[in-house]
Amino acid sequence: MSRKNRRNRKKMDPRATWPRPVSPEERARILRFLEERFGFPPEIFEPYEFLATAKNYWLFVRTPHLENLSKLKIQTAGLLFLRKVGDYLKPTTAALQRFGRYATRNLVELDRLTLDRLRLEKKIPLKLEIEPGYVILTCEGQIWGCALYLPEKLISYLP
Amino acid sequence: MAETFELADRYFERYQEIIPDYEKFLTSLAEPLPLYFRLNTLKIRDPEPVLRGLHRQGFEVEPVEAIPWFFRVEPREASLGNTEEYYLGLIYPMTLSSSLPVYALEPHPGELILDLCAAPGSKTTQIAQLTEDQAVLVANDRRLDRITALVANLRRLGVACAVTTVYRGEQFPLEVSFDKVLVDAPCSGEGRYRKGYEGELLYQKEGRTNLSGIQKGLLVRAYDLLKPGGVLVYSTCTLNPEENEAVVDYLLRKRQAELLDWEAPLPSHPGLTEWQGRPFHPDLRKARRFYSHEIGAVGFFVAKLRRTA
Ligand SMILES: C[S@@+](CC[C@H](N)C(=O)[O-])C[C@H]1O[C@@H](n2cnc3c(N)ncnc32)[C@H](O)[C@@H]1O
Repeated sequence: MSRKNRRNRKKMDPRATWPRPVSPEERARILRFLEERFGFPPEIFEPYEFLATAKNYWLFVRTPHLENLSKLKIQTAGLLFLRKVGDYLKPTTAALQRFGRYATRNLVELDRLTLDRLRLEKKIPLKLEIEPGYVILTCEGQIWGCALYLPEKLISYLP
Repeated sequence: MAETFELADRYFERYQEIIPDYEKFLTSLAEPLPLYFRLNTLKIRDPEPVLRGLHRQGFEVEPVEAIPWFFRVEPREASLGNTEEYYLGLIYPMTLSSSLPVYALEPHPGELILDLCAAPGSKTTQIAQLTEDQAVLVANDRRLDRITALVANLRRLGVACAVTTVYRGEQFPLEVSFDKVLVDAPCSGEGRYRKGYEGELLYQKEGRTNLSGIQKGLLVRAYDLLKPGGVLVYSTCTLNPEENEAVVDYLLRKRQAELLDWEAPLPSHPGLTEWQGRPFHPDLRKARRFYSHEIGAVGFFVAKLRRTA
């Protein structure tokens, strides 16, 4: 394997085994977070299962084939959805881009100039009337992804 | 340049009898291929904002009548990869005919589907989109670097119904059987060739790999991975009968597979039942050939089969 490939492998989720499906309690906790923070109706995740690895939750289509599929050696399963950061859950930009249109809370609309500046500087001073925590960035009607609001500043998690 | 032109003309001469309107085909090779993208309906259903955005960046965009959610773009030499719409996962640039194998596959929610040669994922993501992210997809490719690109595309488009694997297709484990398998095989890519713009005329290259042999191995393994009654789609973007009809003919002789008719949304021609004096199974006429000058996109071959035993 070339050097480059080895690096790529590292960047991907380096799992020898399949992630485990989460317990009903863990699922309830995830759904509660998504609903409380962003107003995501839990029903939209009904067709999906959450799979857990050490630091992440993945969203994967709910299927009776899961056990059967676990015979395969996989690179990834589903969409990387949430990261566990300390006691917090941080949604991925991919998750928010896909499901953000169902959110009703903690969406932060930026004008083009501010968005560009945030992408460039990664952190900008900004005062918002919201609880500190993760937010969904939007601009000109499109959903861009995840940022963190702390009192009077906004930190970008856009790739 | 004139030299390569002659080279191409001489190269395709061997297909003079099978390519309809051969002169027009040759003329078409002098033009760059049209550019298309698919709208990612997992994220957006109204094309208007995307069309407006692309227009602002200097693109002209027209919907394609024949195939839902596909759009044709000018200038065709430009790249869509740097646009905001691409970054946000709203579009997936792919040639129009690349959608055909998925139409033959007819994926449904709940089905377990293997995409054996999947990277970089234009068809995997199209299957996800057509099934509203509710089929169960295994997207495999033997090359890890290409799987990385596939994973990036799945993430960019927001697909949650796929797992990715890196097996040599010929050795994909038999423990799991599938409702449907797509083999979008590595091929010589003749259907993509445009003089001086794109593609290489691989088949004449010295020391070329035995593509036909690889394709046969992949197709047989794909068949063995099907549940009884399961559906298999074999596709390439080449005109070469050795990589198309001959490969399917090989499967028909080795396994109990039957060719199926399918409704193609673009103009097509029946598969060949004979090439250079060698007969193929008569059902090969049910396979479809798509020629680039007739469809305004990469030339394709698509065969739909069923496992009968
Ligand atoms: C025509 S491309 C696939 C394009 C893809 N289906 C899409 O629509 O984006 C063929 C792919 O087959 C892969 N490949 C080549 N040999 C293979 C093998 N033996 N097993 C599995 N994949 C293979 C190549 O790495 C390449 O990505």
